[in-house]
Amino acid sequence: MGMIFDKKMFGDFDKALFFAMIFIAVMGLISIHSATHARNLPFKESFLLRQAEWMLVSLLFLTVIIKVAYYRLVDMAYLLYAFIIIMLALVLAVGHVRLGAQRWISIAGFAFQPSEFIKVVLIMALANYLGSKKDTMWRLENLIIPIILLALPFVLVLLQPDLGTALLLVPIFFAMLLVGGANIKHLAVMVGIGLAGMPFFWHFLRDYQKQRLMVFINPNVDPLGAGYTIIQSKISVGSGGLFGKGWMSGTQNQLNFLPERHTDFIFSVIGEEWGFLGALVILVLYALIIKETFDIASSTSDRTGKLLATGVGMLLAFQVIINISMTIGVMPVVGIPLPLVSYGGSSLFATMMAIGLVLNVGMRRSAF
Amino acid sequence: MRDRAIVISIFSFFLVLALCLFYTQILRYPYYARLARNNAIRIIPIDGPRGNMFDRNGELLVGSRLSFNVAVVYQEIRSQTKLVNALSQSLGIPEGDVIDALETARRKPYAPATIVEDVPKDKAIMLEEASFDVPGLVIETRSIRDYVMGRSGSHIFGYLSEITEDELEKLRDYGYRMRDMIGRGGLEKYYNKDLTGTDGGVQIEVDSRGRQVRTLGMKEPQCGTDIRLTLDKTLQAASDKLLGDRKGAVVVMDPRNGEILALASHPSFDPSVFARPNTSAQRVKLLRDKVGKPLVNRAISGMYPLGSVFKIVTLSAALQSHGITPLSTYFCSGVYSLGRARFRCWKDGGHGPQAATTGMMNSCDVYFYSIGRAAGPDNIETFARMFGYGSRTGIDLPDEAKGLVPGKQWKRQKKNEQWYEGDTANYSIGQGFFLSTPLQAVTMMSVIANGGNLIVPHLIKKIGDSDIPCPQAKSIGLKETVRQKVREGIYKVVNDEGGTGKNARVKGAVVAGKTGTAENPQGRTHAWFSGYAPYDNPKICLVVFLEHGGHGGLEPATIAKGIFEEAKKKGYF
Repeated sequence: MGMIFDKKMFGDFDKALFFAMIFIAVMGLISIHSATHARNLPFKESFLLRQAEWMLVSLLFLTVIIKVAYYRLVDMAYLLYAFIIIMLALVLAVGHVRLGAQRWISIAGFAFQPSEFIKVVLIMALANYLGSKKDTMWRLENLIIPIILLALPFVLVLLQPDLGTALLLVPIFFAMLLVGGANIKHLAVMVGIGLAGMPFFWHFLRDYQKQRLMVFINPNVDPLGAGYTIIQSKISVGSGGLFGKGWMSGTQNQLNFLPERHTDFIFSVIGEEWGFLGALVILVLYALIIKETFDIASSTSDRTGKLLATGVGMLLAFQVIINISMTIGVMPVVGIPLPLVSYGGSSLFATMMAIGLVLNVGMRRSAF
Repeated sequence: MRDRAIVISIFSFFLVLALCLFYTQILRYPYYARLARNNAIRIIPIDGPRGNMFDRNGELLVGSRLSFNVAVVYQEIRSQTKLVNALSQSLGIPEGDVIDALETARRKPYAPATIVEDVPKDKAIMLEEASFDVPGLVIETRSIRDYVMGRSGSHIFGYLSEITEDELEKLRDYGYRMRDMIGRGGLEKYYNKDLTGTDGGVQIEVDSRGRQVRTLGMKEPQCGTDIRLTLDKTLQAASDKLLGDRKGAVVVMDPRNGEILALASHPSFDPSVFARPNTSAQRVKLLRDKVGKPLVNRAISGMYPLGSVFKIVTLSAALQSHGITPLSTYFCSGVYSLGRARFRCWKDGGHGPQAATTGMMNSCDVYFYSIGRAAGPDNIETFARMFGYGSRTGIDLPDEAKGLVPGKQWKRQKKNEQWYEGDTANYSIGQGFFLSTPLQAVTMMSVIANGGNLIVPHLIKKIGDSDIPCPQAKSIGLKETVRQKVREGIYKVVNDEGGTGKNARVKGAVVAGKTGTAENPQGRTHAWFSGYAPYDNPKICLVVFLEHGGHGGLEPATIAKGIFEEAKKKGYF
């Protein structure tokens, strides 16, 4: 605290990262409006307004947290971690069931999704632990705490059940261990055990999750049930062509052929209405954000900062890859939102906080 | 080093994503664009109603009516039990059937799937009201053919049935679609092109539930052309009623121009069986009935020995070819000897001396054996052809038969046998190889009635607003003196105390005609009566044929009397 927001820090503020984030979020708002205006909700209740409100709240929080040095925030990581873990447990006990899964919990009238926050908080907790083990991470016993840190939220999220989010935590975990200096052989063995355990893991999947995986292999197994979304999503994206059908003019979107199109399948709306060019713009903006994030990771000499930026970079990259892949049918449908674009306050807020942490690291890299 | 590896792998993934997007959005664009279009654009066909048929006085014979179908949109069903209950209670069909139909509907969940077709109007209205509470239930209306006269006239009108796949292949260019109805028999087939309407359609944009969002375009359907027939509804109904349960045919015609006033063939069928769905059992029954052959139009497609009605040809041939004179007299002892063979007259004991008029009046077989042999088989054959036998009359109905006119050459070719004198004897009385359709018999009778012209029987009077001219009649070259002799003969058949056709007499009008009782290998004799009225100024000419109906002078003559009376009542004479 007490740190002055000086010129040096302002110079190191990554404007490209910040504005790319704002740009994508605004494209998200525009697409959400296109995806939901057909419901004819009054403006006060519209998805657009709610998402815009969340965006403003998130930006407000972002400006607050970049004033506090990231290492101070990381110091609080275990506390936050414990809080979110309790929330995840509470979700299982008393949460709302939506779309067959228990993901939401209401606090002070806000329904929020702890599983969105655990992504960021896990990165902070791992950065905290790995950052403190500078030259001893190669030791096997130092992997115990990180594994526990991963396993707790993994199991809780899986039980909701939210397979996508649970699996998303794994590459983040490995990337941070890799950058944190863990022994590559140890990591390889862990990956091996994980892969060997897959058939066992299959038994714990819910029927609808198995169905989704089966349908991914062949969507025509159940073209009107689980396969319907994949098929309609591919049609949407494919029929966009080079220039798209124009904003608010996608027939797949406007005529309601696309389910969940303002949340997980928002990219289909973009692909249909903005075409290949629009999709490419989004992809390039994400690439920019990720490049800036990893540039910050490599430009800081602080271990914790580097780990934080790596974790966030992985988080964003994997969400984008999984989400877009699933809308064009090259990956199974798992409930992963498109960061900054998909409708959903928790996701937007958590993503902006994560980017805020990266900006925070970037601003203070010259201090080390 | 380690973070570089991570960044490189992430950007490789991004590159792959960009390539996948390129593939999906650029290379596969035409495919997905088509799918998207098919998703959202539907063409709702609007049937172009088929043209109506009216009788000569403008009375509706065949029209179209609305039929109500119960359909479901599977996607919109909220409570299956409620739907099943509503349907099975109001329509009285087992729940199991409804559930089965719902399973079929599941395959096309966004489009209405018909569950029960052609429900009564009151139930349709009831269900329509109930559909507000039962989402997914839809009442569709469709225009179906309505045969006003029921079974009467079924062979004239024919029937419709769904187009087959083969036909669709051939007729697609003419705008036919799956489930279109096409004329199968009778006038429905003959005038199919005129009667068929042009389907229109509305192009609409639908949402994922198949609900209309907006109309994109509309093509008005065009009604088929109405046709007016020469038929008289009253005479048609009377003919069918008089024929009753008997197997046979009746044709009533205006002998002056060939206009068919009534044409009946029994057993008949209910043409709506083919127009209504869910009647396949009844259809199969009709198609499989090999004994009754209800779908065969006996009046134009049935070929039968003509019996004594043919004697008109024999007498004409003998007189005109100068084989005999009207006064040439032959003695009938009841038996006619030809070499060692003995040909009997139908009357045991014989008729005594017979000349032209008396021979005809008595239908004396011995007289006709004699004059037939005097004329010779070649002349009989020539005259039979002159009267129209052996070729189609040209009536505007499908599947008309030619009949059979035998001769020396025919016998050599077909039977590989020479012509015997006995064949001539049989020929003379309308037995043997000769075969005629009832329509040909009435056409021949018209030649006698109208002064010697072969007319073309026809049913069409008007197509739309344009009058269809009567087909040209041709003189057959029958000498007037010969015709007069034949006329006198058939006058006596009905009006002389000894005539065979007395039963056909009508109060207040003079009828002439000829009876026939034809032996046949299948069983009991066929019974014929053909005649016209009034004798001096013929307006109505008819034939009554009863398959295995016994004696021509009995039932057929009585039926003819009934038809003449009906025509008289209607003011034809």
